Amino acid sequence: MGDHELLEKMSQAIIALDKDAAVAAAEEAVAANMSPLKAIEEGLQPGIQTVGHRFEAFECFLPELIGSADAFKAAMDVLEPVIAKMSKNQKSSGTVVMGTVKGDIHKIGKDIVVLLLKTRGFKVIDLGEDISASGFLKAAKKHDADIIGLSALLNTTMPAQQEVINLFSEEGVRDNFTVMIGGAPVSQKWADEIGADGYAKTAEEAVKLALDLMKKKAA
Amino acid sequence: MSRVPFLDVIDRTFEGKYMSQEDFEMKIFVPELRKVVEKYKIKFDPQVLIPDDDDLADRIFQAGLEFYLNVGTYCVNTERVIAFTEKEIIDALRSAPDKVAFGEGRDLRWLKSRRPESDVPPFCFLGAVGIPVSSDEVFVNLIQSFSECELTDTITMPSITKINGRTVRPNSPFEVMAAIRSARLFREGTARAGRPGIAAMNAIACASSDVAKIAGSHYLKPTDGWMIGSTAELKVETPRFNEIAYVRDIGGRILAETTPLLGGYCGGPEGVAVASVAYHLHGLLVLRGDCQLHCPLHLKFVCATAPPVLWALSAGTQAITRNSHSPMMISPFLAAGAMEEMCFLEGAAAVTAVVVSGSNLEAQVSHGGATPDLTGPLTPQFSAEVGHAVAGMTRKEANEIVVKLVEMFKSDLGNAPEGKLYQEAYDMKTGKPLPETQMKYDEMKKKVGEMGIPFTY
Repeated sequence: MGDHELLEKMSQAIIALDKDAAVAAAEEAVAANMSPLKAIEEGLQPGIQTVGHRFEAFECFLPELIGSADAFKAAMDVLEPVIAKMSKNQKSSGTVVMGTVKGDIHKIGKDIVVLLLKTRGFKVIDLGEDISASGFLKAAKKHDADIIGLSALLNTTMPAQQEVINLFSEEGVRDNFTVMIGGAPVSQKWADEIGADGYAKTAEEAVKLALDLMKKKAA
Repeated sequence: MSRVPFLDVIDRTFEGKYMSQEDFEMKIFVPELRKVVEKYKIKFDPQVLIPDDDDLADRIFQAGLEFYLNVGTYCVNTERVIAFTEKEIIDALRSAPDKVAFGEGRDLRWLKSRRPESDVPPFCFLGAVGIPVSSDEVFVNLIQSFSECELTDTITMPSITKINGRTVRPNSPFEVMAAIRSARLFREGTARAGRPGIAAMNAIACASSDVAKIAGSHYLKPTDGWMIGSTAELKVETPRFNEIAYVRDIGGRILAETTPLLGGYCGGPEGVAVASVAYHLHGLLVLRGDCQLHCPLHLKFVCATAPPVLWALSAGTQAITRNSHSPMMISPFLAAGAMEEMCFLEGAAAVTAVVVSGSNLEAQVSHGGATPDLTGPLTPQFSAEVGHAVAGMTRKEANEIVVKLVEMFKSDLGNAPEGKLYQEAYDMKTGKPLPETQMKYDEMKKKVGEMGIPFTY
């Protein structure tokens, strides 16, 4: 089987949400001495991006998005040891520390953003829900994050987004990180009010925003 | 024949089958839902937003019952599944009350179960549905205006976001103070309108912690309502049981609040319709609801007026109201903001679907319900007027009207207009609509009336 067919096979396995087929295709790629970076960038990523685009268009739903991410991760588990040996990493779009703020346990919206960011090549540290300002600060420093993503689904927990930004400022590290916020009650007005660097209404907009923020950061 | 005792349900949160949340979502919820959708041949027809197929409704009910029997409710904190036997589910349905009283004195109102095409007007739970407000003045004005509306049976209050200019933070003294202040200002607003006995049914809107809710409740009455919510999908957190334990002790009425998401784990409209039935059973058994408040939402547009959600809302509601006598209300979220033309068109479509399918009504959330002060009395009043007008209408007739209405706004759902803030549409001193606001309302009522809604108010 040529490279093109093998890459297509990997991509189709992700689109079909078929974890076993994705693992088998990744193992074939390793056996064929294909560059694992090529396998990821030209095989796995196009597959998961296709599912991501379908989700954006509401042609498929959250279970499909999660299923494709599971298949993607399973194939990555096969490729990562090879990558580690080569001491190279997948080309990363940036590192995002993401979580739902203190007092708020909502996760679905945040989880979708995490998945979609991964499909676009971001390394995402998902801290989970009900995360304190200091939790974000510690994780940002530990992982040398580019972007901090703060999710809040309640009117009453929106101020916790401001607390995170305030703490980063108090600690003198605000300018080291780009902060984006989201969640149903959040708006651009609120982002401006609390000094966030960006706001996204939907998960798809969040990904576009993250890519834009990374471009600005690099400029 | 009676509902499984509450203490037994608590036991199951500790003794039920252990499972990770991810496994519950992806290995149980999703495949079991798909299995029953296929088994019972449930299919969304985009040409018919309000189906009048009783057999479809009953199949959805059977699918939902079987699904809930196989899945149960997941307790997030203990990572256990709260499961019920078929007999326990049937007993809960049979023993549920078919009416619940809210309010007192001459403001007492009965929330009763309805059936598809019922000519009994819907119970109208009107107001701000927890929308944030910027000041005590706006809060009291709104409560007074909602109380003055003749069709208001009970009130859904807004959320206070500031205490003496300070932002209300969760789990802080400000949250406790906001809950107390909400309850006191609510009574002030209803008294100003001469309706001191009218009930609040979303007490306390601004509180998320147990302590704040309990503190605020000292200024409420058992005849008010306590809204106790779930987490999507079919999950519950242990603090909700703390609330239930408290409300049971004071003899309060519980509204079991459930929000299936179209596009989330439920998948498409068929899944949402079936999950709605499962949520009804979960509301009875786990949340101990005296009645149910159901809010299906489109994951992307955050509204109930996208065509697949309207179908799911109608089909799921018919399934429930044909097979359960536990009273239910639906809160259809609108994409457009208050006083926009699109908001009126969406409201007319959604309320028609809700009422002819056999539900009662909560109104009105517009534009995601997130913008402070994006509310006012005329939008919920309009919804109530539509609700009274379409009571008794056939589903077929309603479908024709709803399909026409939806054609007028569906392309704008992803970019719905923001609407007018309370201060922009009403006189802050008198609480009355500004002339242009009244004109817009009159114009929209005429337009929607000409499309076939036979207004009686």
